[in-house]
Amino acid sequence: MDNNQDNTNNGKYWKSLEQWRQDPEFIELAQKEFVSSPLQESDGQDGWARREFLKLMGASIALTSFGCVRRPAQKIIPYAKKPADIIHGIPNYYASSYVDGFEGLGIVVTTRDGRPIKIEGNTEHPLTKGGMSARAHAHILKLYDPDRFTGPKHNLQNEKRTNRETIGAKWANLDKAVIEQLKKGGSALLLGSHFSPSTDALIGDFAAAFGTKIYRYDDISMDAVKSATKASYGQENLPHYDISKAKTIVAINNDFLGTWLTPTTFASQFSTGRKADKDMNKLIVIESLMSLTGTNADRRYRIKPSQTLDVVMGLLHEIVVVKRQGRYAGDGGLSSALTKYKASAGDLGLPLSEIADELLKNQGQSLVLAGGGVGATENEAKVIAAANLLNSALGNDGKTVLARAPSRFEGQGIGDLLTQAAAGSIKTLIIHGSNPVYSLPESAKFLESMAKVEMIVYTGDRNDETARFADYVATDHNPLENWSDLQTADGSYCIQQPTIQPLFDTRAFQDSLLAWTKGAASPSGRVKSAATWYDFLKNNWRESIYKGGGTFEEGWIDVLQKGVVPAKSVGGALSFSRSAFTEALPAAKVDGFELALYQKIGLGDGSLANVPWMQEFPDPVTKNVWDNYACISPKDAKTLKIKQGQHVRITAGDVKIELPAHIQPGQADGVVGVAVGYGRKGAGRVADGVGQNAFQLIQFMNGQRVGAGFKVGFEKLAAHTDIACVQDHHSMEGRQIVVEETLQDHIKKPGGNVHRHHMITMWKEHEYKGHKWGMVIDLNSCTGCGSCIVACQSENNIPVVGKKYVLKGREMHWLRIDRYYVGNPENPDTVHQPIVCMHCDNAPCETVCPVAATTHSDEGTNDMIYNRCVGTRYCSNNCPYKVRRFNWFNYTDIPDLQKMALNPEVTVRFRGVMEKCTFCIHRIKFHKYRAKIEDRQLKDGDITTACQQSCPTGGIIFGDLNDPNSAVAKAFHDQKSYPLLEELNTRPAVHYQVKVRNVEELQGDGKDRNYHGQKSEEHHA
Amino acid sequence: MTKKILGAVVALAIAGGVYGFFHALTHNKITIGYNKGYQPDQPLPFSHKQHAGDLQIDCRYCHTSVAVTRHASVPSLNICMNCHMVVKTDSPYIQKLTEAYSSGKSIAWEKVHLLPDHVKFNHSMHIKAGKQCTDCHGNVQEMEKIKQVQSLSMGWCVNCHRQPENNAPVNCSTCHY
Repeated sequence: MDNNQDNTNNGKYWKSLEQWRQDPEFIELAQKEFVSSPLQESDGQDGWARREFLKLMGASIALTSFGCVRRPAQKIIPYAKKPADIIHGIPNYYASSYVDGFEGLGIVVTTRDGRPIKIEGNTEHPLTKGGMSARAHAHILKLYDPDRFTGPKHNLQNEKRTNRETIGAKWANLDKAVIEQLKKGGSALLLGSHFSPSTDALIGDFAAAFGTKIYRYDDISMDAVKSATKASYGQENLPHYDISKAKTIVAINNDFLGTWLTPTTFASQFSTGRKADKDMNKLIVIESLMSLTGTNADRRYRIKPSQTLDVVMGLLHEIVVVKRQGRYAGDGGLSSALTKYKASAGDLGLPLSEIADELLKNQGQSLVLAGGGVGATENEAKVIAAANLLNSALGNDGKTVLARAPSRFEGQGIGDLLTQAAAGSIKTLIIHGSNPVYSLPESAKFLESMAKVEMIVYTGDRNDETARFADYVATDHNPLENWSDLQTADGSYCIQQPTIQPLFDTRAFQDSLLAWTKGAASPSGRVKSAATWYDFLKNNWRESIYKGGGTFEEGWIDVLQKGVVPAKSVGGALSFSRSAFTEALPAAKVDGFELALYQKIGLGDGSLANVPWMQEFPDPVTKNVWDNYACISPKDAKTLKIKQGQHVRITAGDVKIELPAHIQPGQADGVVGVAVGYGRKGAGRVADGVGQNAFQLIQFMNGQRVGAGFKVGFEKLAAHTDIACVQDHHSMEGRQIVVEETLQDHIKKPGGNVHRHHMITMWKEHEYKGHKWGMVIDLNSCTGCGSCIVACQSENNIPVVGKKYVLKGREMHWLRIDRYYVGNPENPDTVHQPIVCMHCDNAPCETVCPVAATTHSDEGTNDMIYNRCVGTRYCSNNCPYKVRRFNWFNYTDIPDLQKMALNPEVTVRFRGVMEKCTFCIHRIKFHKYRAKIEDRQLKDGDITTACQQSCPTGGIIFGDLNDPNSAVAKAFHDQKSYPLLEELNTRPAVHYQVKVRNVEELQGDGKDRNYHGQKSEEHHA
Repeated sequence: MTKKILGAVVALAIAGGVYGFFHALTHNKITIGYNKGYQPDQPLPFSHKQHAGDLQIDCRYCHTSVAVTRHASVPSLNICMNCHMVVKTDSPYIQKLTEAYSSGKSIAWEKVHLLPDHVKFNHSMHIKAGKQCTDCHGNVQEMEKIKQVQSLSMGWCVNCHRQPENNAPVNCSTCHY
């Protein structure tokens, strides 16, 4: 095979634009094999200082003995009174739940000796089914965040709240001051979305006791979605969908698999309908930026954000007016309103007629999703109402479009709050669940509006933007320390239970509300009778939520064990109200650059910005870490002669921000995309100073926050910043890496595009008498969400290295997801491929280790023995899959608090040691030993690896290949499975299953699937 | 000449000594750094001889998790107090124990058998395989003060694992992961 051939750009797979363009720098890089270089001059100077400053997640080796000391004397301090359910060495699991943005996830928290160390998905939960998101994992490190407030705080402010001194407060004093102030009247509560019915009940009692007005604000605005849902279906709520039943899915500037609404649930549903058979769904994405959803599209088209409404209207026009089909075919008023969009298809350059045909083919089994979250356009509410109409026209209501469990969203918006506050009618403001000073643009004049408010109380957990500005900070618990409940979209009730004693002198927001309500003149009976928030919650469950048979106490224990009470019927009836649809004119053409804000999968709204895992989480699309940047299309970059990393200035109104440019294949021309969540001030030692705050670019239009579809100034600057990207390392170009098939071909012959080799070996074959562990990764299920990366990081004590060292290729993730583009960079197809250690039978690493630090076990795993390793890095050099990671420095110097998150079952690694994926050998052993103690055989499915457990789409199967009935053995030997780089005869224990696209023809000229110039022909070595 | 002979003899002696030392070291004749014989003073003079020997209390009465997890576990004080609520309450040591129990502060025992962090020794599997506690810990029932009687070196572990009758795994990852 000729690798150089593959560096040409004819429809081959490519990883970066440097490769596609044949950049000399890229070719040099590709030939170097490693980006990592040995110690450089600057190391040890600012490098050490930076790491010292970052205090990143790592490992500890405090117990090393010194030559002159006889032994490290250690103490054993047993419990004085051991709790009966704690056995040292056996983890305890607590079923709980977690709310991330607008999504509720069922989780199981693993605790050891009273410390939560890992979060996994709760398989009992009907929506997420054990799946997790990357962010849900990271939540554990927020608990052990050394920058958290350790108690309530009081800010001594000057009148304008511009200068202040933060002092510690006592809860009693804080309560006294707050209650006194609340009694004056004119109080307001600014709440983020929370979905907790018991908290709602308590808030209701609090508001009644003090006559408090309720306002709603989320850092990521869903106001337009709620109002459009109200207009469409009569109730102010968020929508809920069943994507598993949809055969045609059209997403219009909607990242439902990545960041929109409930992505983990959606990913799980999406993969259910993604099985490669005749019922396989088809995903059509029309979008401006390259989103995670876009990378999973079968067909993908590009538009500008301002054209979002035109696309939905154009589709409606095709269906209602041109094709005269669906529910509204004879609706004269609608038809005449839609005729304005007659030219849309032509103007947009989209095959709207074909897309409409696809949708009509599957009436009642299709779904149109629109709505941009933080990237909402001016017309967001109209877009969503029109998409609702489209779904109604297609007969999807009640089938793929469901009613979401009612949540309480009553209350006015942030605009009303600002007006009221400025008018002086608000004396006290309590802010919970959002960070408005950070996420509102300065143009909203939040700070100025608050001048007449006498007291601001904030419930945040750190000295962040809003906390600096508040008079009191009633520091809230971390959710892992707190009781709560949750109703997920389908109506299931979940419990959130504390898994650790509060680490600091913090107090649950609900306990604060309870304490303050008790101070009111006439609190409600249930507040009076509840000593703590826990009492209130339990009583609320007893009275309003618990519907099971038997006594409540028995039922309560069952709820705590399972963590979830599944809803009996999924969703309710929906009837779309035609009046929700409002006419609009096609968008005017915008010259120059349009803005499109977006959320990154890792950082989201910025609330987890101080979690180093999230900062070093490779963005699933760009693969960049530690920064935000201005994404522009390759064509724009070429026209404006902008290089990767060159600074640009974006101007929206009076706000100017300067960012490095990132050239993003597949992005629409004339659009600049910027991620929010960066540019934090006071969030902590990791988050502060990383990136720029793109929330500042938001404009208020008709009282709504608009983050996309308006013209911004765009200027090229001379400065340059390197963007740390994990992509250009460990190249695999030119070989059979990802195999794709069209659905037709796949049904005819699964795995037909796989080019097979039949190899003989000179090595003595290994004998596996007992187990032989293996894994199958289904590329067709993988959406690239990256949940597995963080699951692995959390499970295996994997450190974070910082931007500087990622730039040198020293990131430490054991599991990485390679993302390849194929075809034209204007609008390429994308594939994601998780790469773990392949645990080869003929492992190249084993043969070259001079000290036998990496060896083969009799169960097929390739073991890395840290204490033998002397750090020659030969193994990494010889590994064709480039999965080995080297500890260049001691990344272990982390605050003691963060050490509490370390998994005691996995050795923490020191400087100079190689490490890599172990197949979660400690989890294998734990279950093997358990079976042995219980005198039984291991069952298939007993052992799950961390990545497998976390995967929301079930794309990873692990188990015993020697058991012919195991799921993994069946999948491993399936026709559609293939090993990576089979021609090297490494005989990996990991197989991949082909990716199937529901298209007629794959992108590219076909040559790219033509390995060695022979298509799918077997040959022998 | 004599100087040369003397020099040669010294050099040979040194070489021989070094060889002998390394031979002994690598053939388990001598061990260094393994703390065999380590017998530190404990904060309370707990006697295994009295409890396990004379009174014949089963090891697992106190070391409760030895058959179920990796750790044998040093007993929590509530186990001591099962008897010492009433037994020998006039002893100053028992009074100290009671105080540690009541205050919740516990007692910091000196760790005797210490393996490095990268070694994952599993007690429960050895109990399951029918090994006796005394095989590794010596005749505890005769010790007034607990003492490390085996080297607990890797060679010592592996020697036993290699015996065919033990049918024990010898993968590196058996203990290191």
